[in-house]
Amino acid sequence: MVDKRAVDDVTFQVKKGEIFGLLGPNGAGKTTTIKMLCTLLLPTSGDASVLGKSILKDDKDIRKRINLVSGGERGLYYRLTGRQNLRFFSELYGIPPATREARIEELLQLVGLGHAADVRVEDYSRGMKQRMHIARALVNDPDILFLDEPTIGLDPEISRDIRALVKKMADNGTTILLTTHYMFEAEELCDRIAVINNGKIVAMGTAQELKDLVKSSTVIEVVTVLDPQECFESLKQTPGVMNVVSDRFSGRHLNRFQVEKREELFDVINDALRPYRIVRAGYDEPTLEDTYISLVSHNEL
Amino acid sequence: MNYRASLAGFKQAFINFIADPQWIIPSIIAPFIFTIVALMIYNDSSGPVVLQAVLGGGVLGMWGNTLYSSGWSISYDRYNGTLEPLMVSPTKIMDVVAGRAVWHTIIGLSNAVLVFVVAEIMFDTSLTLQNPLLFFAVLIMTLFSLASIGLIFSAFFVLTRTSSVLMSSLEFPIYVVSGALFPVTLLPSWASWVSLGLAPAWGVDAMRYAAFGAFETMDLLTDVGVMIILIVAYLVIAAGLFRRIERNVRSHGNMGRF
Repeated sequence: MVDKRAVDDVTFQVKKGEIFGLLGPNGAGKTTTIKMLCTLLLPTSGDASVLGKSILKDDKDIRKRINLVSGGERGLYYRLTGRQNLRFFSELYGIPPATREARIEELLQLVGLGHAADVRVEDYSRGMKQRMHIARALVNDPDILFLDEPTIGLDPEISRDIRALVKKMADNGTTILLTTHYMFEAEELCDRIAVINNGKIVAMGTAQELKDLVKSSTVIEVVTVLDPQECFESLKQTPGVMNVVSDRFSGRHLNRFQVEKREELFDVINDALRPYRIVRAGYDEPTLEDTYISLVSHNEL
Repeated sequence: MNYRASLAGFKQAFINFIADPQWIIPSIIAPFIFTIVALMIYNDSSGPVVLQAVLGGGVLGMWGNTLYSSGWSISYDRYNGTLEPLMVSPTKIMDVVAGRAVWHTIIGLSNAVLVFVVAEIMFDTSLTLQNPLLFFAVLIMTLFSLASIGLIFSAFFVLTRTSSVLMSSLEFPIYVVSGALFPVTLLPSWASWVSLGLAPAWGVDAMRYAAFGAFETMDLLTDVGVMIILIVAYLVIAAGLFRRIERNVRSHGNMGRF
């Protein structure tokens, strides 16, 4: 058993109606943070305040006004229909029968599952289950909604639908705390983002403010035909090279080098990648992903 | 106690019963087999011995059903990954589990009826109950005593992912010490002491009195009184256990695992 602090002295505030993102690599402490704020997990020390109440002492009061959506397929009763699931969870929150059915119908329409309301959840697709998770989490009309990687494993179209739903919820005044691995998702949705690594917050601000943290750097983007992974290690040792990210697209390799603003580095990188058949090379502004990689690989700027 | 949550648990168990045919095994097939075995053991006997066999078969079926349902109650949430959404809600898990337990108590009652039908039709036992109303009342209380023991087990099942192993190991000892198949006076004295702490054992005794008719009022009142005290004690213990175990689970944050 590894003795490791999952979350260490994390402090942040989320404003009412804000979409706040927690970004970080696997095991960084995002889910642990969310679970503590949802009162599912007790901190070994310290406290947190949710809606002005202590997660240690006022867990029952907090639970009435929050809800949680976790990514993945589980979290619904498979043998029950979508409507029966929503009815069950509504009853746990004490939603009066007079308003319950109308609310359930409204939620089913909101998540686009009106047509599948009376189908058993075991017959739902992955995307339908995730939308049902969101409907389930809205039964108590929560003031704060915690979304733990809500689009993980979903296809792009369903992910876009889920993001649209999240925006709609925020427009309706729900405060949202979101964890995600996807930079574009964080950038598209979040008013502010905290980057968490090894249980500590290493940076916090709007997407632009985070990108500004690396404005002293630039990105050299080189597209190659062959995979140049083998030369990355030596390039990373080159003074001025901060990090390297490589992705495949359309059969090519898109290699992004975050570097200090020094002219000679362009030639150094191009020389190193020439054997891998360069298609094009140029400068780019650091994206949120470049910033994130820089933050989690160095932990500080 | 949150009655709405218990009602939700009750309705959910009912829907699941309809949706999942595997329930036929503990609810119909098992008590059917228990009764046949019991009646075959006591074949060629008559009167009180046959009644003992029928009572035994009924109680064994009800106990098996209670144990299965209490283990199921939490494993069901583990399997579906719904323990976390349950715990995020302001409802206590015990309230939901209690509602499910009440549903299974009702199913337990159907076990009892089935056992009597099997005894009459297949074995022609010609049983007559001297005090049917009293018998029925004590039977209901015995079912609730089983359900309240089931709640205690459910609390433990929150902690473990191996509830099926626990259920199997708990099933047979209760058959013996509850006095379901034979009077506990036949057991070694230490086993009789164990049965004193088991509400169903007092219930079986009271059912015997109600069925045979010849009893001292004080004896019946003692059985019923002790059973009520034990049911209340079980409920208090279950509530305390659920509270402690929920806190324990919150300390480890492992309720999402299956």
